[in-house]
Amino acid sequence: MFGRRETAALLRKELGQVRRSRGALISAGLLSLLMIVVVPGLQLTAILASGRQALPSVPLPGLARLDEPRQLFVQLMLPAFVALAGVMVPSIAAVHTIVVERERRTIELLVALPVRVGDILLAKLLANLALAVATLGPLVFVDMAALAWLGFVSPAYVVSVCLLLVAALGCSVGMSLLVALLARDFRTANNLNGILLGPTIGLVLAVLILVPADVHLSVLAGLLLAIGVGAVAGGLRWLTFERYLA
Amino acid sequence: MLEDAPSASPSARAALAFEDVSKRFGRSVVALDHVSWSIRPGARACLLGPNGAGKSTSIRLIEGAIVPTSGRVTLLGAEVGSEAYLAARRRTGVVPQGPGMYADLTVGEYLALARRLYGRGSVDRVLEALRLGPYRAAILANLSGGYQRRVALAAAILGDPEVLLLDEPTVGLDPVAAFDVVQLLREAMPERTTLLCTHNLAEAEALCDEVLIMRSGKVLLHTPLAELRRRARPLVRIAARQPVSVLQSVLRRRGLSTQVDSDGEGVLIALDEPFDATPSLLRSLLIEGIDVYECRPIRPTLEMLFLDVVRGAV
Repeated sequence: MFGRRETAALLRKELGQVRRSRGALISAGLLSLLMIVVVPGLQLTAILASGRQALPSVPLPGLARLDEPRQLFVQLMLPAFVALAGVMVPSIAAVHTIVVERERRTIELLVALPVRVGDILLAKLLANLALAVATLGPLVFVDMAALAWLGFVSPAYVVSVCLLLVAALGCSVGMSLLVALLARDFRTANNLNGILLGPTIGLVLAVLILVPADVHLSVLAGLLLAIGVGAVAGGLRWLTFERYLA
Repeated sequence: MLEDAPSASPSARAALAFEDVSKRFGRSVVALDHVSWSIRPGARACLLGPNGAGKSTSIRLIEGAIVPTSGRVTLLGAEVGSEAYLAARRRTGVVPQGPGMYADLTVGEYLALARRLYGRGSVDRVLEALRLGPYRAAILANLSGGYQRRVALAAAILGDPEVLLLDEPTVGLDPVAAFDVVQLLREAMPERTTLLCTHNLAEAEALCDEVLIMRSGKVLLHTPLAELRRRARPLVRIAARQPVSVLQSVLRRRGLSTQVDSDGEGVLIALDEPFDATPSLLRSLLIEGIDVYECRPIRPTLEMLFLDVVRGAV
């Protein structure tokens, strides 16, 4: 279904266009900065300023053993932001790169070349993934380095958060494919993104709150990855690439 | 289908072939209905038909952008979707129908992408051939319609293709730009199998020697243009100082079926032996007091032939 040479050539074009796409860069950059640095940074600053305070016990599996703000931040707040940013950044960038191509009919210029529609979509999804990794990766690294320096997290936690980010990106790629295949214009794409992101945000928070803290990162990563794989499989099986050209 | 001489059985050597191809979109839309035709290597065929005939679907199938619901589409002997198809596709240039243009990609960058995908060809050579050199660094969306179409043609011929698929290459262009594009196509087409999908019958007549006419997802006719002309009854155009309606009624009294010509000033009549029958007809009209100032046998245009076929007259 995909040609390596074709996908590589198209990916090169996509990356060049992503670099020039002010909308995609601003959306991805600002959202990443807000979710991974600004909001967590403000929370962390407040936690450091307030010192260790006992939190009231909450009878929910994910919150039961979080008895101080530092634990709440590390086990609940930061993973939530990493997962949500990982899900949202590529799918929002995809609206700019994939749907706009379809809406402006520039896709016809690509289909005229010796490529398959699958190559075109794959290159676009990879370009969005690259953009998300380029924006989120360094910021998550900064967070992890800061928390490790403060002695808040263990190496195993850092690995878990990185895996969670990878799973969230995988989920986002799958959802981006669905949006690309279903939405014919920018507005529909934004609406669809909202429809898909809403339940995903709910799922992320539900898992973090309802699943015991010692396994909730792994469970959440597994679920997000499963959603991504399911979306890709469903998109290819039921929607077909013909929809992208319709 | 009235006649299908060149497409009786799609041979393995055909450059393009449809074998009992159907294409449905959803449950209700039948874009192609058990269509079979083939084009031999080197032929220049035009694919004609009213809106909804299935022309664009046919081009999309050959491009490999969509797959047939049933039947088999082959390009240079390779079935669409097969392992060998991509190699055949690299030997095929496509000029798409009025594509959108990138606002963030230059002419040079787009052609460089085409060069990488075809795996051969010289960007400099096509830029020079299509007189696009000064526009190499221009953003595609900033070019005029005519130059945008030149870029599409440049990408199509970059890999020195054996097959050219031209999907409405002049649609939306002003007459000057359309004329320029037709001239460039005329230069690009020799030695190449060409399938021109168009509504512009004058353009088809100028560029092609084989006609494939479709309607409602079926092939009505596939024949060499010369054969289609041969089968059509010769026409004689008569114009007189009297109103066209008077001329028509006089001709009808002689048992001739008439048709007002496209300019509204003359009448067309079909005569089997125009060079023998016209002088006596002219004499009788003049005797009857009809001031005939024009009376000449004419060659039916492709537009006339097309309309006859679509209306079921040929």
